[in-house]
Amino acid sequence: MAARVGIVGIGHTRFGNSSEYDLADVMAYAATDALQDAGYLAQRKEIDQVFVANMASGMFCHQSAVASALISRMDMEPVPAELIENGPASGASAVKIGYMAIASGMADVVLVVGGEIMRKVNGWSATDIVATMLDTDTEYNMGLTLPGFGGMFTRLYMEKYGLTERDLALVAVKSHDNGARNKYAHVQATCTIEAIADGPEADVVNNYIAEPLRMYSTCPVSDGAAALLLVNMDSPRAKQFAKKPVRIAGVASATDTHCVHNRKDPLQLNAVRIAGEKAYKMAGLGPKDISFAELHDAFVILELAISEELGFFERGKSFLAVRKGETRIDGRFPINTSGGLKSKGHPVGATGVSQVVELVRQLRGEAEEGRQVKDPKYGMSVNFGGFGNNVAAVICAKD
Amino acid sequence: MIDFSMYDFQAPKISAYRCDTCGAIYYPAPMICGKCNKRRDPVTGKSWSTFDLEGPCTLLTWTRVWNLPEGYTKKFLQFGIVQFENGLRASGRVEVEEPKTGMKLAATVEESDERPGKPVKIFVFK
Ligand SMILES: [Zn+2]
Repeated sequence: MAARVGIVGIGHTRFGNSSEYDLADVMAYAATDALQDAGYLAQRKEIDQVFVANMASGMFCHQSAVASALISRMDMEPVPAELIENGPASGASAVKIGYMAIASGMADVVLVVGGEIMRKVNGWSATDIVATMLDTDTEYNMGLTLPGFGGMFTRLYMEKYGLTERDLALVAVKSHDNGARNKYAHVQATCTIEAIADGPEADVVNNYIAEPLRMYSTCPVSDGAAALLLVNMDSPRAKQFAKKPVRIAGVASATDTHCVHNRKDPLQLNAVRIAGEKAYKMAGLGPKDISFAELHDAFVILELAISEELGFFERGKSFLAVRKGETRIDGRFPINTSGGLKSKGHPVGATGVSQVVELVRQLRGEAEEGRQVKDPKYGMSVNFGGFGNNVAAVICAKD
Repeated sequence: MIDFSMYDFQAPKISAYRCDTCGAIYYPAPMICGKCNKRRDPVTGKSWSTFDLEGPCTLLTWTRVWNLPEGYTKKFLQFGIVQFENGLRASGRVEVEEPKTGMKLAATVEESDERPGKPVKIFVFK
């Protein structure tokens, strides 16, 4: 039987603009929060391993070796530390590798820190840097960007299933309702369906980014960091922590073709489906057991498509559930209770860790008033790298 | 030693690849054939052949992008994914006024120097 791995500490900066700060400092802030939360700050040199998730500090901040910088900022030498890079799925990949380090027996206590400072560069440059994760010759060089692929995917979905732009806006309204109540969210503001879809000014307020995706179907460019302290629940050391662990019941990742055009059915997100199936199998659970989910809505269409690949809704039917309010915080199956990438923000290297922080907050019952899911048992997150070519899923359990 | 600088500078073309062992075709080229596991040597090209990817194609999906990355001076650019008659697919620019999925287009290749650095070859579907 695999080791039981639990989360005993969480930390999170408020996402937004931290471009005046150093990346290692921002990461260290979230990591210190996680250690304090676990009651383990003074014992931090006893941590066996640190994994740092970051996508592109070399390009965004002209800074490399951030794992080493982080260790010194936190006075943690000689604790081993390495960087995990898996595009925007770096965060969940670091959680997975943290789990593997404990399961392998090489570590009992692992600190996972994800962070990104994207706003040291301007928005055009940030879009360009993010686009470097596309296939160089066949996608990036054509001038394509992630929003471009988001737009093309959305059009296919609309034409096949009858999704409308108003449905996309409904997802955004729901996510902003949650994000407005999340102290860590980048955009802590609600938006109305009148303002972004139905009203006379909607075309201006909610302008096109990559048709048919609009401003309110796309996440902001954010800075921030998030951190988790993982522990081997079967080790005697597990008793040292202030908080009862939230167990990682399943964690898995999968890949798909690097070039989007080479997918037989471009509407199927195979890496999402397979990572989800593997995580369910590891946890001994299925979609019906999950109480709520954090899904990688860099574009709101992805919240819908991912929710279908994971089996929460039938293919092509998720937006009908959104129309009925089923994914709202008080609905049958709340999605993106944190506000999602849309409202909470998307500092690429931090996102996968941030999603798991939200699972823990919900499972502990520590979410803010108005966005706490009622008595959740299991939460699931999906962190989506590339345009779906490298995806990691995590299931957390309140035992 | 592999010299990737060998560069044939003529009318811009984009190549697709055929594994001569089993006939499978690819764009872009893998280093191992997914059907028969034959390796591809990128320098000698032994056991593999190339052909120009161009001509008639069908538009599978498209978008009009308004927030372009650094280097592009246009107000917007249109992009699409097409399928060629041989079944291969490609992503590139779409230069028609009113794109519609399913419409028949012709794939051409142009050189783009919009971004800094060496010019790159791009598909333009018209
Ligand atoms: Zn072959």
